[in-house]
Formats: sequence, structure tokens, C-alpha cells
Amino acid sequence: MDDVLTETVPAEELKKFEKAYHEQLYKQDVTPKAQFEYAWCLVRSKYPADIKKGIFLLQELFRTHEEGQRDYLYYLAIGNARIKQYTEALKYVRSFLNIEPGNSQVIALETTIKAKMDKEGLMGMAVAGGVVLAIGAAVGLGISILNKKS
Amino acid sequence: MEDDILTTLKILIIGESGVGKSSLLLRFTDDNFDPEQTLTIGVDFKTKRLNIDGNNVKLAIWDTAGQERFRTLTPSYYRDAQGAILVYDVCNYATFSKLETWLNELETYSTKRNIVKMVVANKIDMENREVSRDEGLHFAKKYKTLFIEASAKTRDGVQSAFEELVQQIIQTPDLWDSYSLGNNVSLGNKDHPAHTSQCSGYCNLV
Repeated sequence: MDDVLTETVPAEELKKFEKAYHEQLYKQDVTPKAQFEYAWCLVRSKYPADIKKGIFLLQELFRTHEEGQRDYLYYLAIGNARIKQYTEALKYVRSFLNIEPGNSQVIALETTIKAKMDKEGLMGMAVAGGVVLAIGAAVGLGISILNKKS
Repeated sequence: MEDDILTTLKILIIGESGVGKSSLLLRFTDDNFDPEQTLTIGVDFKTKRLNIDGNNVKLAIWDTAGQERFRTLTPSYYRDAQGAILVYDVCNYATFSKLETWLNELETYSTKRNIVKMVVANKIDMENREVSRDEGLHFAKKYKTLFIEASAKTRDGVQSAFEELVQQIIQTPDLWDSYSLGNNVSLGNKDHPAHTSQCSGYCNLV
């Protein structure tokens, strides 16, 4: 089942807002609205390159457009979490919660990110454990060969 | 255990800003109320299990921001939703007048033509009511939607709103049971790959 970190933007939607953004870019008059809408689509893409571009656009908005900062922080956290940059994602979550400590939407996002980290962290350990076992076996084999030789 | 789940349903909550969409959801999922509920950013998401007539269903609930600046993008979350909750504030007539716009929005963007709609009249605990129960009922009758009056603050009607909506969806197998989809079976259809991730029918994998 999809959640905020796995649902994806429909391709036609992404195209529509990409076009609107580029039209404004061509006229060198990009509104924060068009840039945000495009970035919001990008961070919901299934392609990491799109998500990275979305993060870049959101960072730019965050610096230049104070009014929407809470929205930008939220989607910066989502974008980073979607490309597994969890530490970065949690940094944005914490910045947000410093401003609005009780925000349940962002607290829920933090929980979702941490659950993902836990799940993937355990998987990492399992892989590392397998490697340790393999090395142990190889070393054991080496020792037994050495023993035979002597 | 996941294997006793009959189906997973996608539910939307829409309506004007400040009518109490997130508060209704918080009351339903966590039995909680936050008088200082902040404005939703974009779209929020929560899950909840519900037992309807002996069937366990899982609800994936998408709570959309009512603020104007999110309007252009929230409809992309409408696809594949089986149920929609349209909320207005009984103390703010303008939020009731806007319901028709929200219905049109649903008509335009929802991908399931027989999506079940529930109109929820929220904040009935307040004294400065501007929309009568009759007006709400009349609207619901006119547009063939379900209707309930509720208060996220006092719990009134909240559980029933979700239960009645889900009951109606379950009674419309076209909406969720892949065996009754007939010509609309979308699993494995190359033209609609997005549908393959949607759990319809009996799904054990969550």
C-alpha cells in the first residue's frame, strides 16, 4: 500500500507542471507558485534524478520565498527520504519541528522515516552478518588447510 | 496478522480550509482532538483498520489541504479512491456553498465513476450555526450522497461517518472486488501500470 514516501505522481501531471515552469523560465519570470508545483511533482517522481532536481528547486524557494517555508521544509524532508538520504530528511523534519513543535503531520512523517531506517538498517546488518559468516568460514577453511600442511 | 484483511480501501477527505478535515481524521484514527490543529501541508496520510459486518478492511486515508495554493495538485491524489468525505463547517455558510465545486472536482478527477460520497457537516457542537440540518440533508439528497452531522471535538458522528461510507463501498463490489470488475480489470494492463500497485480484491500483501 502506498504512503507519502511511496506514492508517485502521474506522468501527465509532471509533464503539465514541467511545461508551465519552463514557459515561465523562458520568460525569466518564474513565480514561486509554478516552481513549487513543479518541485512538488518532481519529489513524487519514481526517478531519483527528478527527485534531486525537485530538492534543488525547493532549496532555492526556501532561500527566496519566506511565505511558503513550512511547505518547502516538509517537501524537502519527503524528497530526501525518498532517495534514502534519511539523515538529511530528518534534519529538515527537526528544523520544521523547531518552528512548529506539535505539528502532527510532520511528527508522523518523522515516525515513517525512522521506521524505514530501522527496516533498512536491520537489512544492512543482516547482509553484514552474512559477510562476517563467509569470512569466518574462509578463515576456518584456511586454518584447516594450514593445519593439514604442517 | 494481515491475511484476514478483506480489502484495502482508498478514502479521500476534501473541503474548504478550516472546516475540520484533519480534526475528523485525528478523531477517527487516534480518538484525539487538537484545538490548535495546524494547517495541512499538501496532503496528509493515515491508515486505520475497521471491522464492518465481520469483515476487516484497511483504510488508507488521504487528507487533502483545503488551502487554495495546494488546489492544483491535490486532484492527482484522487485516482483510484473508492470513497470521498466532503466536509463543511456548519458555522460557515461559504464552506457549505462551495460543496458543489468540490463535487465537480470529484466528478472531474476521480477515476472510479461510482465512488461513494459522504457529506459531513462538522462542528455541530458550536453555537453560532449558519447551516441547518435540513439544508445539509437537502443537498445530500439532491446529489445522492450520504450525509451525517458530526463534531470532531465531541466525537459525535465521527465513527459513524467512516463506518457508513465503508459499508456502502463494501456493498458496491464493483469498487473493490477484482472478481466483479468485469471489463474494467486493470491488473497487468500495460496501459495503466499505476493500477497494478492498487490493492483491489483480496490482498494479503501489504
